[in-house]
Amino acid sequence: MKRIRTILAAVLAVVAFGVVNVATAETLRVGMECTYAPFNFKNADGELMGYDVDVAKGVAGLIGADLEFVCQQWDGMIPALLANKFDLIIASMSITEKRMEKMDFSDTYRISVGRLVGRKDAGWELFDDAGNPIPENFAGLKVGLERATTYSDWFENELPEAEVVLYDSNEALYLDLVNGRTDMIMTNPMKAYLRFLSKEDGGGFEFVSPQIDEKKYFGIGVGIGLRKGNDELKARLNAAIKTLTDDGSLEKYALQYFPFAIH
Amino acid sequence: MSFDMALILDSIPKMLMGIGLTLQLLFLSAALGLALAIILLLMRISGRWYLAAPTMAYIYIFRGTPILVQIFIIYYGLPQLEFVRDSIFWPILREPFGCAILALTLNTAAYVSEILRGGVLGVDRGLKEAGAALGLRAPHRFIYITTPIAIRLALPAYSNDVISLMKSTALASTITLLDMTGIARTIVAETYAPYEIFISLMAIYLILTWMIQRSFGWVEKRMSRHVREEV
Repeated sequence: MKRIRTILAAVLAVVAFGVVNVATAETLRVGMECTYAPFNFKNADGELMGYDVDVAKGVAGLIGADLEFVCQQWDGMIPALLANKFDLIIASMSITEKRMEKMDFSDTYRISVGRLVGRKDAGWELFDDAGNPIPENFAGLKVGLERATTYSDWFENELPEAEVVLYDSNEALYLDLVNGRTDMIMTNPMKAYLRFLSKEDGGGFEFVSPQIDEKKYFGIGVGIGLRKGNDELKARLNAAIKTLTDDGSLEKYALQYFPFAIH
Repeated sequence: MSFDMALILDSIPKMLMGIGLTLQLLFLSAALGLALAIILLLMRISGRWYLAAPTMAYIYIFRGTPILVQIFIIYYGLPQLEFVRDSIFWPILREPFGCAILALTLNTAAYVSEILRGGVLGVDRGLKEAGAALGLRAPHRFIYITTPIAIRLALPAYSNDVISLMKSTALASTITLLDMTGIARTIVAETYAPYEIFISLMAIYLILTWMIQRSFGWVEKRMSRHVREEV
């Protein structure tokens, strides 16, 4: 009996110690694609880099938490958050009403826009002078989009004339555009420029649309995603983002990858 | 965890819109795969090394590598080669459907030709010798004695392969095709409800498997009806 009690006490001590440990050094698990350059990606040495990664580190530094990055494909990102595979999504995820039904977002740390990329000599007339799409000119064109993104929402609702092809990753978009399987793609213009248009493969391609930023689809910007009911954590995230915005850190992060600020 | 029944009822008809594509992938690649498998089989048992050796290499490669990798090589890899994009096959390889059919056909043919070979090897030697004694020449012996028996012997294993081919069609969703799995993945990405959607999807696939099993069961029974008569 005594031995059992001793063991029990030992177990309790270990458990209690564990709990205390968690409380003193909070670890936040952060979900991201790890392939979405220049926002979150691995460099040649396998290190995670990018604007999202910098923001994650900046925020963690301010709220005094340790970070653990989890790489997750885009279409499973929110299910994985809800299944407690990680605590935060810092993956350039736009804040939208639809997503807000399932999860919470911090304040924005980046603007959210989309832009079309297509072949240079295609000679399409897709947008009028005011920058509004001309739907009939999209008829029969194949548009490559990532599954379940704000871009696919926008296309399905605003331009059902176009033939949408859904992809699982951003890299596949460029591959099939070059291979001629799609006529154009819609994605983040900063990324399209850095990853594709400025490279050899993207030589024959250019932006074929203005920046599209309809708030109804693209939301107010990009925020940190978290599960509902974590208001205390959310308040701390917001305070940290405000500090990073005010002290110029966000701009500093952006200038490493772009010639302009993006928040 | 709450289980959203309304979502299930709502999503099943949407997923069933992809059943046509799933069945097209299944039947087309099963038919083409069987045809290719027969050619491979004949090459393999021809007794000529220059026919048998490439066949063995082919079967070894396609059975020894994951079908997902084969699909990716055909879909993403081949168009990287300039001459593929300029060839007459490009109209087929340009379409994800063509790539999926090609990959599934090449893969299933490797398995099926081995299944058929098992059937052919299982035919009793004595029967063939009896055929020879009756004066049948080798091609006739193969067509009239070996083939019917080999088909009966190979059928149970073949039905398993058709079922596994049916399951492999789900991989077409990775190259932008909206088969049942492709639609399900899109719904999941929009509703963030993987359990409900994927469990419904499983149920649909199980029904398909059951139907394939029953059909083959019926064919098997019918093809061995002479055995039952004897009993």
